Amino acid sequence: MSEEKATKQILEEVEKKSERIPLYNPEALKRIQESFGKWKNTVVTDRDREGWQVTPHTIIGSEISRNLIYTPLDNSGLDYERDLGFSEGEPYTRGIHANMYRGQTWTQRQLSGAGSPEYVNNRLKFLLSHGATGTNLALDLATVQMFDSDEPEADGMVATVGVPIDCVEDFETIYKDIPIDKVSSSIVTHYPRNTAIVFPMYLVMAERRGYPWDKLPGSVQNDFIMENVVRSACEWIPPKDDFRVQCDNIEFLRKEVPKWNYVTLNGYNLREEGTSGVTEMAVAVANGIAILDEMLRRGYDPDWTVKRLAFFWAPANDFFEEVARMRAVRRLWYRIMRYKYHAKDPRSYWMRCHVQTSGVSLQREEPYTNLMRSAYHALAAVLGGAQSLHVDGYDEAYSVPGEESSLLGLRTQQLIQAETQVTQVVDPLGGSFYVEALTDDIERRILDEVDEIEKLGGLPDAVAKGWLHNKVRNYLLSEQRMIEEGTIKIVGRNYFRDPNAKVPPIVTQAYDKKIRDDMVAKLQRLRGERDNDKVKGCLEAIVKAGKEDDNITYCTLEAARAGATEGEMRRAFTEAFGQWKPPIYG
Amino acid sequence: MTSRQDKTKVLLAQFPLETHSRGAITVAGMLRDSGMEVVYIGNSLPEQIIETAVQEDVDVVGISTLCGGELVLGSRVIELAKEKGIKDKTVFLMGGIFPPEDEPRLKEMGFNAIFIPGAGREEIADAIKDCVTAKRKK
Repeated sequence: MSEEKATKQILEEVEKKSERIPLYNPEALKRIQESFGKWKNTVVTDRDREGWQVTPHTIIGSEISRNLIYTPLDNSGLDYERDLGFSEGEPYTRGIHANMYRGQTWTQRQLSGAGSPEYVNNRLKFLLSHGATGTNLALDLATVQMFDSDEPEADGMVATVGVPIDCVEDFETIYKDIPIDKVSSSIVTHYPRNTAIVFPMYLVMAERRGYPWDKLPGSVQNDFIMENVVRSACEWIPPKDDFRVQCDNIEFLRKEVPKWNYVTLNGYNLREEGTSGVTEMAVAVANGIAILDEMLRRGYDPDWTVKRLAFFWAPANDFFEEVARMRAVRRLWYRIMRYKYHAKDPRSYWMRCHVQTSGVSLQREEPYTNLMRSAYHALAAVLGGAQSLHVDGYDEAYSVPGEESSLLGLRTQQLIQAETQVTQVVDPLGGSFYVEALTDDIERRILDEVDEIEKLGGLPDAVAKGWLHNKVRNYLLSEQRMIEEGTIKIVGRNYFRDPNAKVPPIVTQAYDKKIRDDMVAKLQRLRGERDNDKVKGCLEAIVKAGKEDDNITYCTLEAARAGATEGEMRRAFTEAFGQWKPPIYG
Repeated sequence: MTSRQDKTKVLLAQFPLETHSRGAITVAGMLRDSGMEVVYIGNSLPEQIIETAVQEDVDVVGISTLCGGELVLGSRVIELAKEKGIKDKTVFLMGGIFPPEDEPRLKEMGFNAIFIPGAGREEIADAIKDCVTAKRKK
């Protein structure tokens, strides 16, 4: 079995055994070394020589130091075929498709905003009619946290940051008139538990409309790090059980909805909560490893398992770090699939990813400046080779995006795609001495953190021990200090702050109590019309499956068919697994 | 020896369905660094927030909200504080993301200070000190 050896050890052994063919000839390198030394000592000033390495400080940055200039000496061992190769070829550093964006643009997916199921249906159609190529459904807090709209906790929170979903009927309204076999649906379920509860409702809606499940394209998030580390909540289930639900969903979706991306390993929200770009990727990769190991234990071939696994990244301010990171993790994922899991299908090597521009990098002061920030983030994502992109609204620090800011996000994508011409050439920064050195450095750092996680017993154990919670807390405090000291410069906030800066009019949505009233009325009607004995039986089956280690997602599917609501199913999960308290309180 | 008079005790919480904790965790760390005692209870119903405030006899109740609910649940918190008789002796704060027009409404409701993204350690700690001093004088 492959998992007995640490991932880092496996990859190091492969490296040691393989013969490298350096791109640069030793004689040329020797000459460069000599002239570089001469140049550095004569042309470069004392001050620049002493400050040769600087460490960029940015919000959610990785603090990786940079030289004043990069030369072949920084990539002296570069083996073109082993380290770079060609797009859609090993080791995939340069991209997963041979023609990248010449063949097909990335999916331009904007989050659909907040409101009632009817309102969001209109919003989805609005974005599609303006050229969006997929839908991206944000759920309201009650739905994300698995509460029904009529539970006391949902008071004041229904439809505030997304759309409320309690039962199958809500999905019927949201996707009315949208051809869900042609337009792919991203459903931002976040957690394993709400994926298990909410996604089967989507399937029942598709079933009722006559769409076979094997025709449905789309994705859910289904990430236990989101549920156990990133999420604030009233209650949690233990990480090992939540990880198991994550894998139950994967097994169910892989078998029943084969075109669906069953997990989006969510680096994004972890990083936005407060961590570096390196930790973001290390944790997502370690989760991928944990999934493949668990699925192997359940008897599934890695080639079969990995087919619909995707990642989700957060490009922030340090432009070249962001480009290099995407290239680095693409190569690392290939090496893991090839050498640890011995995958045979070339598609198994693909690190496919959705990217959303960083929200915490956006500021409340002078909000229009956020348009520029997000455009740089998006450009980095495209130069890094993303498959799918959401650009944040400039009003991020005020509210969920309004119609105007959401459309400007889409326009930013279209500008990069159609006007800048950066899409004409594959991996345009490949071969830059700087970008290649940074790519190598970041790949090493990600692998080192993966190794650290494996030494703690793998990701579910590392989370249960509080390793990640502590890392995030320490990161946040140090970042806050650097902002206050001015070490991290933020234009308009602590750098050239304009005390007279005016806030442009920002349209925010007031809380609409009527949406909750309508949802409550619908729930009452549903509970009166459905077969309540059948629902009770289905909920008991969820508890039993949870306790007995049967795949729980088949049970939530039956419960959705019978008309069980989200909150009812959440309570069944809590009964099955009990509660856990993350190590952040006191 | 630390007496009740010089160590300010702060309860930090979020509303029941809030998913974000970045702000609350950062502020908890900042206030501890500034020498305050922090009780962080995470997501809680307004009833639980006020119940804990009474039990722990805190000087300050701070609520972090990023996903809405500031008006509906904020007014519920203040109402309950009045019912339990702690409104006058306790400082109420709110921080997070909400529309600018909600700030005056929250103040009117009875929140003593409001913090928006970008508020730093000094701003928050100083505001707490000022509010606590003003309350104790009463």
